[in-house]
Parts: sequence; structure tokens; C-alpha cells
Amino acid sequence: MANFDLTRINCQFLDRHLTFPLLEFLCGKEIYNQQELLEYILETVNKTNMIDYTMDTRKRLNLSQEMPEELVQRKAEVLATLKQLQNEVAPIMKATDILKNGESMKDSKTFVNALQKDYNFKVEHLESAYKLAKYLYECGNYQESTSYLYFCLIVMSPNDKNYLNVLWGKLAAEILTLNWNTALEDLTRLRDYIDNANFSTIQALQQRTWLIHWSVLVFFNHPKGRDLIIEMFLYKPLYLNAIQTMCPHIMRYLATAVVINRTRRNALKDLIKVIQQESYTYRDPITEFLECLYVNFDFEGARLKLHECQTVILNDFFIVACLNEFVEDARLMIFETFCRIHQCITISMLADKLNMKPNEAECWIVNLIRNARLNAKIDSKLGHVVMGTQPLSPYQQLVEKIDSLSMRSEHLAGLIERKSKQKQNQESADSWKYY
Amino acid sequence: MSRFFANGSESESESSEEEIQATNFNKASAFQFSDDEEEVKRVVRSTKEKRYENLTSIIKTIRNHKKIKDIPNTLSSFEDLTRAYQKALPVISKEENGITPRFYIRCLAELEDFINEVWEDREGRKNLSKNNSKSLGTLRQKVRKYIKDFEDDLSRFREAPDQESEAEDEVVALESDGGDAGDDSDAGVKPTEAVPKAVKSAPAKAAPADDDDSDDSIDWDSDSESETESSDDENQYQNMRERFLKRTTEKEEKDDDKRKDKRKEQKTKIRKRAEDDEDGEWETVVKGHVVEKPKMFEKDAEIDVPLVLAKLLEIMSARGKKRTDRRLQIDLLFELRDISDQHNLGTAVSVKIHFNIISAIYDYNQKISEPMKLEHWALLLEVMQSMMKLLLANADIIMSESVAEEHEEYATSPFYVRGCPLAAVERLDDEFVKLLKECDPHSNDYVSRLKDEVNVVKTIELVLQYFERSGTNNERCRIYLRKIEHLYYKFDPEVLKKKRGELPATTSTSVDVMDKLCKFIYAKDDTDRIRTRAILAHIYHHAMHDNWFQARDLVLMSHLQDNIDAADPATRILYNRMMANLGLCAFRQGNVKDAHHCLVDLMVTGKPKELLAQGLLPQRQHERSAEQEKIEKQRQMPFHMHINLELLECVYLVSAMLLEIPYIAAHEFDARRRMISKTFYQQLRSSERQSLVGPPESMREHVVAAAKAMRCGNWQACANFIVNKKMNTKVWDLFYESDRVREMLTKFIKEESLRTYLFTYSNVYTSISIPSLAQMYELPVPKVHSIISKMIINEELMASLDDPSETVGMHRSEPSRLQALAMQFVDKVTNLVDVNEKVFDMKQGNFFQRGNMGNRGDRGYNRNQNNQGGNWLGQRRDRNNRNRNQRGHHKNNQDRQQQQQQQVQTIDEE
Repeated sequence: MANFDLTRINCQFLDRHLTFPLLEFLCGKEIYNQQELLEYILETVNKTNMIDYTMDTRKRLNLSQEMPEELVQRKAEVLATLKQLQNEVAPIMKATDILKNGESMKDSKTFVNALQKDYNFKVEHLESAYKLAKYLYECGNYQESTSYLYFCLIVMSPNDKNYLNVLWGKLAAEILTLNWNTALEDLTRLRDYIDNANFSTIQALQQRTWLIHWSVLVFFNHPKGRDLIIEMFLYKPLYLNAIQTMCPHIMRYLATAVVINRTRRNALKDLIKVIQQESYTYRDPITEFLECLYVNFDFEGARLKLHECQTVILNDFFIVACLNEFVEDARLMIFETFCRIHQCITISMLADKLNMKPNEAECWIVNLIRNARLNAKIDSKLGHVVMGTQPLSPYQQLVEKIDSLSMRSEHLAGLIERKSKQKQNQESADSWKYY
Repeated sequence: MSRFFANGSESESESSEEEIQATNFNKASAFQFSDDEEEVKRVVRSTKEKRYENLTSIIKTIRNHKKIKDIPNTLSSFEDLTRAYQKALPVISKEENGITPRFYIRCLAELEDFINEVWEDREGRKNLSKNNSKSLGTLRQKVRKYIKDFEDDLSRFREAPDQESEAEDEVVALESDGGDAGDDSDAGVKPTEAVPKAVKSAPAKAAPADDDDSDDSIDWDSDSESETESSDDENQYQNMRERFLKRTTEKEEKDDDKRKDKRKEQKTKIRKRAEDDEDGEWETVVKGHVVEKPKMFEKDAEIDVPLVLAKLLEIMSARGKKRTDRRLQIDLLFELRDISDQHNLGTAVSVKIHFNIISAIYDYNQKISEPMKLEHWALLLEVMQSMMKLLLANADIIMSESVAEEHEEYATSPFYVRGCPLAAVERLDDEFVKLLKECDPHSNDYVSRLKDEVNVVKTIELVLQYFERSGTNNERCRIYLRKIEHLYYKFDPEVLKKKRGELPATTSTSVDVMDKLCKFIYAKDDTDRIRTRAILAHIYHHAMHDNWFQARDLVLMSHLQDNIDAADPATRILYNRMMANLGLCAFRQGNVKDAHHCLVDLMVTGKPKELLAQGLLPQRQHERSAEQEKIEKQRQMPFHMHINLELLECVYLVSAMLLEIPYIAAHEFDARRRMISKTFYQQLRSSERQSLVGPPESMREHVVAAAKAMRCGNWQACANFIVNKKMNTKVWDLFYESDRVREMLTKFIKEESLRTYLFTYSNVYTSISIPSLAQMYELPVPKVHSIISKMIINEELMASLDDPSETVGMHRSEPSRLQALAMQFVDKVTNLVDVNEKVFDMKQGNFFQRGNMGNRGDRGYNRNQNNQGGNWLGQRRDRNNRNRNQRGHHKNNQDRQQQQQQQVQTIDEE
């Protein structure tokens, strides 16, 4: 299954620390050579300050038990630097602790004012706090790092050169501490910042690409993420562009998210358009599954692809948790499409298409019918499912058309109203100017 | 006059003494002129004078015409002359006792010689214009006939042209100014008499003798002028020129005697020398090369860099002046180059001279619209290549436009030379295209001319190497663009082989080269035009090699559709060519819809030929002015770059058929049915109007017949009409992988016929068996299943599948009259709402186009839109509403048509 593995590509867009979970995950999957993987991890870890993790990896690689001289030395160095940085920041932190309880914690401005007034706060302090946070992060102490970064975020003005770095750092630290709620907050903050900052086109594209990759981690772990990922990837043109130009492989996660999201079926249509457009740059079983089902109506092909999808998902760190949901929803999708075009289906054929045993399939359909998701009857003598479809009567057609009409007119009226209100407001505001 | 002789004569002009004499003589004659002029005012003219004056003035014009080889005018002047002589005849018989005047005889003799000379010169005669050669024949006949009357006089004259002329000279000089022309030319003729050979030669052999004498005449006065080409009367005009140049009036009254003495002196000298010549006639020629330089420089001058440069400057300063002999200038420069090479003056000087030669050759042709002569162009190519080789071989020479003239450095390294090889090579290329356009594309001439393309490309490559070594980005972009323009329309089969894996991935193909060049331009170019052209060429090249997706992405990313109307005509033509090729590519790749969208712009106007600049169409409303026609002709593509129009039209019609016929079938009773392709409709209708439809002959008739077959779902007939022997030779064989295309076509025809069949006949069936459909259309069952499923899902077909029996059950219900009316009413209301929304959108401004998102950033967004509208100029958002979608699509269609018309208009206007 190595040919559908995206870890290599994904890692290019992730922070070094964020890649560890992915690599560790791969270790458990036996797709690649264990030894090589561990060596790769070791190499990566060596570039950070996580000495313990390095030791651990060495152990797993069955290298010498003894700590090499240089590592010992480095550990000492790291500790020393840490100490020094902490000393630098200490007074400010103390002050913060005191202020935390007081009134001034309410908003950042008063907080900064208080700091400057009472505790002789200077920009250099902020600088060192930032450094410390970074250092802690590099040492793998994400928890503490977040608290310093939080401080930085409050005190720093958004124009600071480090502000973007702080935002990224905060997001990474939150992800690594599995703090999904705050991670999501940071994600939105970062996104707003990127969208509003004055990057050159290429820079913005790069930033967005990174954000897209990092956000996948958040979205698949946060309960609200499944809606948000569709919202962000599919319906924000800027991000869709970034995906199309830089990382079409993200289509896999987008497709998965759409499939497992039953409430957003209408997103499917848009997704399929995008998949078709990009089919020449990226395709994997998941996108092909959708293509088979909704473009070619090739149910046999869809069945085969669904089978492949399972292995792909099982080996993908990001979406492994959604496996069951995915299979279930994919089956439902096949079935729904089936129902829409058929008036009579044999259960055995259906079972075959859904990768199920006939009995299971019958059970499944019975459940669907009972839950009123399906207007159908089972003819158990012949082993058929007969749909209760009714041809669309002209009356219904009429009603449908009119339905959309009133919606649209209302929308239009609303728009016009809003516009005129705006104008009025402006006018009144303008008229006040002269007083 | 042959060069050989000219050279020989130059060599003779060595002795300084002679030179002085010659100049003296010139002066003398000049004075004589002026003094004669004075006389004109004083003398009261008799009839004889009048007649003679008339004659001489005509003779003068004849000489003029002869000099520039203007034969038609010579002919007319000759006719005038005979008439004037007729008039003068009574006077002559009275005054001269019936003896024909000398000067008249001489003129005739000269004319005869001139004709013979021109006639003999076969090479030259070939190069004459039609008009010239025609009149040459007439003139020759007329003169021959005419001089029969004067045969005696002529032979007498040829035997002794000089003696009497001298006598006459006196007479004429005294009597009239008319004589002076004769007298003057005398000077040229006189030496002839001195040459014993000439004297001995019979009148019949006059021509060679005359050759001789004209050579000598050069001696007389042109040695100081460095003239290479002349006839014996030329010196006279040189004198004339001198007369105007150094007009001195003060030494007016000089003795005739004195002059005569001098002349006699000269005569003896000449005679002597001529005798010398007889002995060692041919040896002197050998010396020619060595002695050449005194002409350029002082005899013993030390030739060094500043001197050569000064000379160069002297030569070049004559550039652009009215009287400068441009060919002479080129020759001089070549000579200068040889001299500088002989003296090892360094490559920098040589480069400079090369460059000046190039510009001198460009100067030679003064009309921009006309191509330069072929031999000049070849010369140019040669010089250009040798200059570039020099530049490339010597890294320490910096040639650039930015070097100011005062900062040029020739003596020490690094050398700085002012000049722009880029402009030179660009012009070279342009001239090449002009030359190509000049000749008939179906002749062998064209093919042989086209062989030079390789050399042009080589030269461009040399310049490109030079600029890659040292050049600003802008210059590099320009030269890259030149290379691209020679590359983009050429098909490289290796690309496809590489794609199929037959060649290793490392082989560099033309696509890779294009990629490299274009990417540099995208990154570095700061003029919009070069980038636009590079993108267009890049897309064209991709499309040509079936890289459909890359080509499509480039089109969408570049946003060219939006602002191509503002581009210059040449770029717009390139855009049209690109679109045509993109359409063909889409078709080959089986994207019929896209193919149609690409081509509709070109075809809907009905004049793709004009839009692609592949020929001028006769205009109906108003005739072009000559000026406009000239401009349009300049814009035309050379023949080897043309896109086959029949192929284009066929592809367009076939894709229109594949789209339109199922659509017609599906919306047969729809009140709001629209046409997808107007052109296709026209074809269909015109065929329907015919009372009797014969078997198809032309490509169009084939497509129409196929469309008719498809309308009844008869795919077999349809496929036979589209793919058959006739169509293969006409159209399909033009594709690279024609078999694949044919296969694909048949597949599409089957599918679309099936759809049409279902649309048309579904109301007759309550159920149809899928396997039998599959059998009918020779398609695999799953494919039929998939097609029907798609139709059901898209609500095109009111039906549902019955799995156990493998049938399609129809449940179509015909609406009642009231219901139908209600539906129509709803449609109208929907229209109203649409219009409302549109109005609001317009007032609001198009918020999608606001903001300047980057090239690359825009891409996906744009692409999405396009797909939704199914349209290359996508402007509207899809709202998950099929009806609206279609409408929007149609609206865009209209927009596009309008835009198209505008585009066409603008091209017309220009």
C-alpha cells in the first residue's frame, strides 16, 4: 500500500515536531522497513533538542545503551540555555502571576499598560519570552511553551515581526498537546491573520498550503471539524486554489470528510467537479470511488474501489479514525444512488455491490426502511427490493420550480434592503460629520 | 560593366601624374560647362539651333535613362528622338549638306551598344522586371530597323569616332550649347580611338570595343571617385555632379586652346599607356588586390585602429543621405573589413565593421513592406553569423546598445562596441518571413526558401548564446521569444514517444525547451506583450502535443480571455491560432464539449480564415483601401505555419453534431430550446431546404448527412458518414494518431446516438431491455447501464431501471394543456427573476473580479466557474439549479458571440 501513502508528501508541509506522530504511526503499520523508519526518526529528532526522545529512538534501534558523549554534552548545554532564558523571563512572569488575579487581566491593552507601568516591562523581555517559548517547544515541552506563547500573543502587537511565528508555534503546541478546542481557536486566528496580511501571492500561497496541512490534523479530531473542513477547503476559493495548485493530494481528506458528513450531501456535487478537474494530477481510491459512483455510475467499479479505500484509510494517520464511518456512509451512498435509478433490485445483487452478505444486507435495508430513510418494500419471495418511487407529476414539477423562485426573490429583496440600509446609515453618518 | 574590368582599370590609375591630369581635365570641362551656360543667354537662336537643341536634350534624357537602365523610358525617348530628327531633317539637309550630324550618329551608336550590352547580359536580363524586359525587346527591334538607314554613317563613325568629333567639338562649342553634351562625352570616347585594337575592330564587333573604351573612360575621371560601375557616358555625369559640387565661377574665361593642349597631352599619354597595356595587359589585374587600399587610404598610410574607425565613420556618415549609393557603401564596408582583417586590427574593430555592414544592408532596402533581395538576405545571414561567432569566441567584447558612442573601446580589452545584435537578428527574422510570404507557397521556390529556416534558427541560437552570457533580462526575454516563435508551431514526435515511455525520461524534447524558455520569460519579463506571446505559444505547443490539461490550465490561469481584445492584432492572431489548436487538442483527447467551446469563437463568424490570418477574404460591404490591404497582408502567416481550415471546420462541426443532436432530441417540444451552435444549424437547415439531397460530396455534406442519421439513432450510418475513405483523406489522416481519433469518434457516435434514440423514442416504449440496446449499439452492457443511469440522475429521462429483468421502465406523463401552460408561465416568471438578479448584480458590480488576486492564486476559482457554466468565459456561479445553469450557459454564449463580433470588428477596423 506504499503507493497510496501520503506521509512523505504531507511531511514536507508539516513542522518537524508534527511529523513525529505520523512517523510513529507508520512504525506500527509495517508498510515500510521498520529499521529505516527509525533511522529516519532519529535523524529528524537529532535536529531538535529532545534528547530523551533521541535516546529512546536509539534504544529502539538497538544502538549502544550508553549515552554518547556529545549527547550528554548537548543535554547539559540545553539545560543551561533553558535556565538562562528562564532567568531572563522570570521577573516578568512573576509580575504576570500577580496581575493575573487582578482586574487588569481583562483585556490585553490594560494588561500591557499595567505591566509597563508597574513592572518596568520592556520589549527585550518580550523577545526573551518568545525565545524561551521556542526553546521549550524545541525541547518537546509543549505545555509550558503554550503558556509563554499565550503571554506573547497577548502582549505582542500584531505588527511585530514575530507575531506570525508565535501564531504558528501556538497552533503546533496546541496540536501536540492534543488541545483541540484551543487549537481550533488558534487555527481561525492564524487563518484570519494570513488572509489579511499583506503577503506576496507566492508567500500567501505557501502559508495557506501549510495551514491546510496543519488544519487537517485539527479538523479530523475536533467534533466540529467535519463541517469546518468542507467549509474551508471547498468553499473558500483561496484555499481551494491552494489545494489545486500546491497540494492536490489534500483531495483525499476533503473527499473523506464529505463522504462521512451526511448532512452536507450537496457538497458532493461541487467536490466531484473539483475531483474531475484535478483527476490528471491526483487520484487515489477514495477520489476514484466517488468518480465511479457519481460520474460513470459504475457500481461494480465503486465496489472495488470501496474495498481499496478501506486499506488506504487504515494506513493514513489523519483519517484512520473515520474508517468505520466511511465504509458505512459509502455503502449508503451506493445504495441511495441505486435507489434513485432503480425501481426493483435483487437483494443478492445489492449485497454483492455493498460488500455484504445477503442476510446482512437485508437486515441493513430493513433498518433503513424502518428509520424512514427509504420509501421501499421488500419482496422476500423473489428476494427483491421494490422502490416506492412515483413519477414526478407535472404538479410537483411546478411546485418545485415555484419553490426556488420565492426563495430567490426573498434573497434578492433582502440584499436590496440591506444595501439601502447601508446607504442610509452612511448618509446619516455623513451628515453627522458636519456637526 | 563587369567588375573585372573595372578593377583592372582601377589598377591602371596608379600614377599620380595621371590622376592630376584627370582632375585637371575634369575641371576644364566643368569650366566649359559654366561658360556655355553663360552663352545660352546671349545667343539668338536660329532654327538649326532650336532643332539641334531639341535633339540634344532628348539625347541627354536617353543617356539618363540608359544610366539607370530605365528601358521603357529609353524607348519612349528614342521615339521622341526619331520624331525630332524628322523635324530637323530639312534644316540638316540645308545646313549640313545632308550629312547627318555627328552627335546624332554617336547617340545612335551608343544606344546600339547599350542595347547589345544589356541583351548579352543574360543574368541581368533575367533579373529585369517584366516591364523592362518587354520594352527592351521592342527597343532593340526598333533601333535595329532605324539604324539601317544610317549604316554608312555609323560604320564611318565607329572607325573614327574621334577625329571628326574634335572638329565638331569646335563647331558645336562655338555654335550652340547643345554641342556641349556631345563635346563632353567626347572626353570619354576619345581614348578609344587611341587603342589600336578598337580602331582595328570592325563595326560589327563594336560591343567589345565599346567595353574597352568605357573602361578607359573610368580611368579618366573616376579613379578619384572610386566608382565601380559606369558606362562611357557616366563620366559626363560625374562631371556634371562635380560641376554642381564645386561651382566656381571666378576662373571663367579660360582658353579653349589651353584646354585643347592639355587634352592632346593626355591623349598621347593614354596612347602610350594603352600600348603598354597591350604588352602586359593582364598582369596589371593581378596587382589589383594590393593596390586596392589606396582607394580607401593614403597609399603609404599606416593602417591602424583609429584610421580604420575614422574611415568607417566617414563611410557611415553618408548613410541615409539621398545621393548615397547604397550598394557602393556595402562594397566599401566589405573592403574595409578585409583591410582591417589583413592588418590584424583586432576582433572588436571587425565586429564593429560587421555590424555596420549589417545595417548598411538593411539600409539598402528602403521600403519596409517589401522584402529585401534574396542575395542580400543571404549575405546578411552570412555576415550575421560570422559576427556572432566573433562575439561568442571573444568573451572580452561587449556589444550593447547601452554603450555610449564616446565610451567605445577598440584598442584594449575589454572592448566596448555600440550596437545591438538583437535588433539585427530580429530584423533578419522578419525579412525572412517577408521573403517567404513573397513566393508562391505551392512552388519549389518556397521549399528551397524554407530550407533557410534552419540557418535563421541557428543564427538566433548564436545570438541567444551571446545574450545568455551577457545580456539583461529584457534582452534575453526578447531573444527567447524569437526562438519560441520559431519553435512553437513545430511538431516533435519525440514528445509523444517520451510520453508513452518509448524514450527515456531524460531526453530533452521541444516541450522541455519551450518550458524552460517560457518559464524564464514568465519570471523575468516586465513588458506584458512578450509574456502574453510566450504564454500563447506555450499553450499552442502543449496543445499540439496533446498535453491537454497543461494547456487548459495555462489558458485558465493566464486570464487571457479577459483582455485579449486589448492586445495588438498580431497577438490576437496568435490567440486565435492557439484557440484553434487547443480545440483540436481537446477533440483528439475526446473532450468534445471543450473542443466545441474553443472553436465556437472562431467558427461562428464564418471567417476563420481571416481570424487566423491565413488569407484575405473578399469583403462585401466596402472595399479595402490599398493601404489597409497592405497592412493586412503584412499580418498574414507564412504558409508553412497555417492550420488546416477544413480540419478545423470538420472538427467543429462534428463536435457540434455530437452535442447538438441529443440536445435537439431531448428538447424537441421545449419552447425555450436554444441552439448550441449556430453554424451547425445553418448547415442543417440549408440541407433541409434542398428539394433533392444527393449523396454527400464535401466534408460539410458528410457531417450533415451524419447528423441526419444520428437524429434517428442510426449510429451505423452516422459513423459511416463521418469515418470513411473520403473523409479520411480529407480530414482525419491529418491527425498524428488518426486511428485512435477515429476509434474515439466511433465510440462517441455510438453513445450519443443511443442517447438520441432514447430521447426520441422513449415515449413509444413502456420498457426497453438493456442488453438489446447494448446489442443495437454494439456497446458493452455496463456502458449502456451507465449512460442510462446518468440520464436518469440528471432527470433527462423519466425512467427507472428494473434490475431483475434488466430493463428500463419509462414513466413519462404527458402534461395536460393547462399544466403545460402553467409550466410556461412559471418559466416566464423565472426569467423575470433572473433578469432582476442580473440587474442587481450589475449595479452591485461584479464582486468576483474585484481585488487583485495573483495569477496563480486565481486559478482554481476560475476553473470552477468555468466548469459550472461549461464555458470558457465563465462568469456566473452555479446555484445547483439545472435550469438556471442552462440559461446561464446560454447567456454566456450570447456574451461570447458579442465579444467575438467585437473582436472581429476590431480586427477589421485595423
